Amino acid sequence: MDNNRYLDIFGVSEGQMRTLVAEGLKGGGDWCDLYFEDTVSSDILLRDGEVNSGGSHRDYGCGIRVLSGEKTGYAYAETTDFPALLRAARAASAIAEGRGGKVSASHEGLGGEAARNFYPVGTDWRDTRVAQFVPVLQKLDRAIRSKDARVQKVIALLSWQMSEIMMYNSLGELTADTRPMAGLVASVVFQQGSRTENRTVSRSFRMGAEMVTDALVEELAGMAVQGLDARFEARRPKGGEMPVVMAAGASGILLHEAMGHAFEADFNRKGQSIFSDKMGKRVAKAGINILDDATVPGNRGSLNYDDEGVPGQKTCMVEDGILRSYLHDRISAGFFKVSPTGNGRRESFRYNPIPRMRNTYMESGSDGTLQDLIASVKEGIFVDQFSNGQVKIGEGDFTFYVKSGYTIENGRLAMPVKDINIIGNGPEALADISAVAGDLKIDDSTWTCGKDQSAPVSCGIPSVLVDKLIVGGE
Amino acid sequence: MLEAEERALVRESLEMARKAGAQKARASLSKSSMDLVSTLNGEVDKITSCLDRSLEISIFADGRFGSFSTNKVERESLRGFISDAVDTVRMLAPDPCRDLPSPEREVKGAITGGELGLDDPAYAERTPAQRRRAALDPCLKEKEGKGWKLISEEGEYSDSRYLSYVIDTNGLEALHLETCFDYGVEITIADTQGRKYSGYWWESSPLLSGFDASDCCRTALRKAIAQTGSGRIRSGRYNMVVDSEVSSKMVSPVIQALNGYNIQQHNSFLMDSVGKGIFPAGMTLLDRPHIKGQTGSRLFDSEGVATREHPIIREGVVQEYFLNTYMAAKLGMEPTQEDAIRPVLLPYGCKPGAKVEDLLAACGSGILVTGFNGGNSNSATGDFSYGIEGFRFENGRITKPVSEMLVTGNFLKLWGNFIAAAQDARPCKAKLIPSLAFSEVDFSG
Repeated sequence: MDNNRYLDIFGVSEGQMRTLVAEGLKGGGDWCDLYFEDTVSSDILLRDGEVNSGGSHRDYGCGIRVLSGEKTGYAYAETTDFPALLRAARAASAIAEGRGGKVSASHEGLGGEAARNFYPVGTDWRDTRVAQFVPVLQKLDRAIRSKDARVQKVIALLSWQMSEIMMYNSLGELTADTRPMAGLVASVVFQQGSRTENRTVSRSFRMGAEMVTDALVEELAGMAVQGLDARFEARRPKGGEMPVVMAAGASGILLHEAMGHAFEADFNRKGQSIFSDKMGKRVAKAGINILDDATVPGNRGSLNYDDEGVPGQKTCMVEDGILRSYLHDRISAGFFKVSPTGNGRRESFRYNPIPRMRNTYMESGSDGTLQDLIASVKEGIFVDQFSNGQVKIGEGDFTFYVKSGYTIENGRLAMPVKDINIIGNGPEALADISAVAGDLKIDDSTWTCGKDQSAPVSCGIPSVLVDKLIVGGE
Repeated sequence: MLEAEERALVRESLEMARKAGAQKARASLSKSSMDLVSTLNGEVDKITSCLDRSLEISIFADGRFGSFSTNKVERESLRGFISDAVDTVRMLAPDPCRDLPSPEREVKGAITGGELGLDDPAYAERTPAQRRRAALDPCLKEKEGKGWKLISEEGEYSDSRYLSYVIDTNGLEALHLETCFDYGVEITIADTQGRKYSGYWWESSPLLSGFDASDCCRTALRKAIAQTGSGRIRSGRYNMVVDSEVSSKMVSPVIQALNGYNIQQHNSFLMDSVGKGIFPAGMTLLDRPHIKGQTGSRLFDSEGVATREHPIIREGVVQEYFLNTYMAAKLGMEPTQEDAIRPVLLPYGCKPGAKVEDLLAACGSGILVTGFNGGNSNSATGDFSYGIEGFRFENGRITKPVSEMLVTGNFLKLWGNFIAAAQDARPCKAKLIPSLAFSEVDFSG
């Protein structure tokens, strides 16, 4: 890591950062960190066959956090001029006025060189010109239209951002990272007779401009029209409690909503999570392993460092069915007296870090194939595409919205279904996963988690059978 | 709050765009300050101080268009940014539908930013000590009660001031100022079996004199306690009453379906609906953006187009789509405004001043929805499916808390089964949608 490059970007010296930290701690705080960010983003959009809209955006600033025990003071400046940063440090230091928390955040020295670079950039997006991507969107438009005569409208969007991040803390640790992020999205409207249907498909990676290939365009075009006949035939199923077979890949939304959020340690530190008293206990059948992983190369959720300067790592939350670890930032790690797990993340310099997921997935199991799972269900539902989900942390009730699937009758796929919500309870659903196939797949769509702040994540899962969930219907 | 130098810089940004080759441009400066005090279990847990300023510029060059923004608004930095922006725009395809709004559509009377009475001078006088008190005063005194124990109480007080200044090369100049005083709290409790339940409540006002959060925590606690012992009931078709706290979930998809972006893409379940009686006769949805001192009021939209007091749906008949300059040109229609600013659904099928209890009495039995848990809708078909929590009611009275259930249907069919709208919309919201009642709604549990 070339520290001087990052110091130059932000126009500060290590001496100035030491001064800022000292100013932040003047009120009596026991931890101070600085988070510098310079993000440039750009996008171009195709509508009605023409790439005729685009833009770029710049976001620059520094957030200063002071901790007094578990309590947080936070302020930021949209500049790195030293007087403005001093004002922010003083504002953040006010948290420590005459009081302190009971437990200190983790002061473990964790900075230094990250083990690996999980997202090496071949071609820096900032060195490209919009003109070179105009044909890409046109090609995507043509590819989608060529695959199905029912295509009425296509909107295609290519967006990218490059973030320069530099962090400094009261241990004197200086860490820095250059983070790429890019996505290609197609929203398509189809018409069949008087019926209209829509579909949005996407791919997103922490990669440079080498991400944009003909193969990616072709993959997205294929996804856009896949299963279209079924979509036009789909009906609402009979609602109620039933077995649910979830296809490998995007069904990882089950892990994100049903358990991932409940494993985030801030909810457990405050006693709110339904899993607060489950550490070390069995939460799933033997053989099930659930991880949250920042180390998958090019993955949307990967991080060389989290936003507290902790190196990116893989965290095993559930091992052989036993709950082994929550997802920690420095505050919760201090509270639980464990090492931070590299899950302290923030949307931008405007936000203090909180525990967040990265790439959450379940390892492959040994219960056969997707076909085996479907064949084992007499009456139930199969789901494979999703748009969004949500959870109530205390109650553990989670939902996810199904864009496509089928009813299962006597072990076979029967009637296509779409636009139904599924609801369940986290601990019950986890315990009800009775079969796990050996086909783990990570889904690379533009998953974005919205817990107070927006954060890019991804998810994955092998095909699984959940014995009972509530399915929306008529 | 808008410094003379900032005003000059925004003007200069238009000149920079012209010099770089743009024929037309619009520049908007957004600026805000906000202080937050968060509490956990009756103690201050976090303080946050925010100052934001960014410039957005829309470039119209050689028949092409792009939109750009930056928070590095120093003169030299801006010059390079805008020059690059014009270069970028020139790489895009021409689009004859892109243009600034015509001058006669642009707002004329937003001069001081205070015309709507949303900017409270009391904001500038707020002290850190007052903010701490505002965050701590509403906190609960009791930690347990009959059948419940407090697990956590997370509250947050904030006050903020926001400025939006928009000018364009057609001569538009418009300023909007507003303050906001806000408190929200989430209470989590456990019942005697250790099952957890949460309740949320919030209050907000643009004016300090209209802000009262003193009962927020108790309201959130009541909502959590009311859910204890909740569970599923039998799947079936029920009357549905949606409480005013969450009823906008039933109206927002209708407003989105009337937006030009969805109409132009044929991605709307309200295609070709203008002038047609799609909704029950007697149902009226207005846009009322000019009410002084009320949350959500605005004199102009993001294009600088003057907002209007107008009906969106009158007596069940759709009146117009939301068309900005671009979408109007794409569709070959007259522009209106880009979106609903402050929608107000008028009472329907019940007495003036009716509240949610009156709807329960009118329906007799059914499910009262007080919260949604996830779900979504299909903008092209109007199909929807949402997780819900609330209460079973019979003979007009609540009998049992309900959770872990789903409501599924289609918005066109749902509004076809519209029974009544009360007159109990919360004034702190920008969408004034009262409690609503529908018949024949599918619930799964």
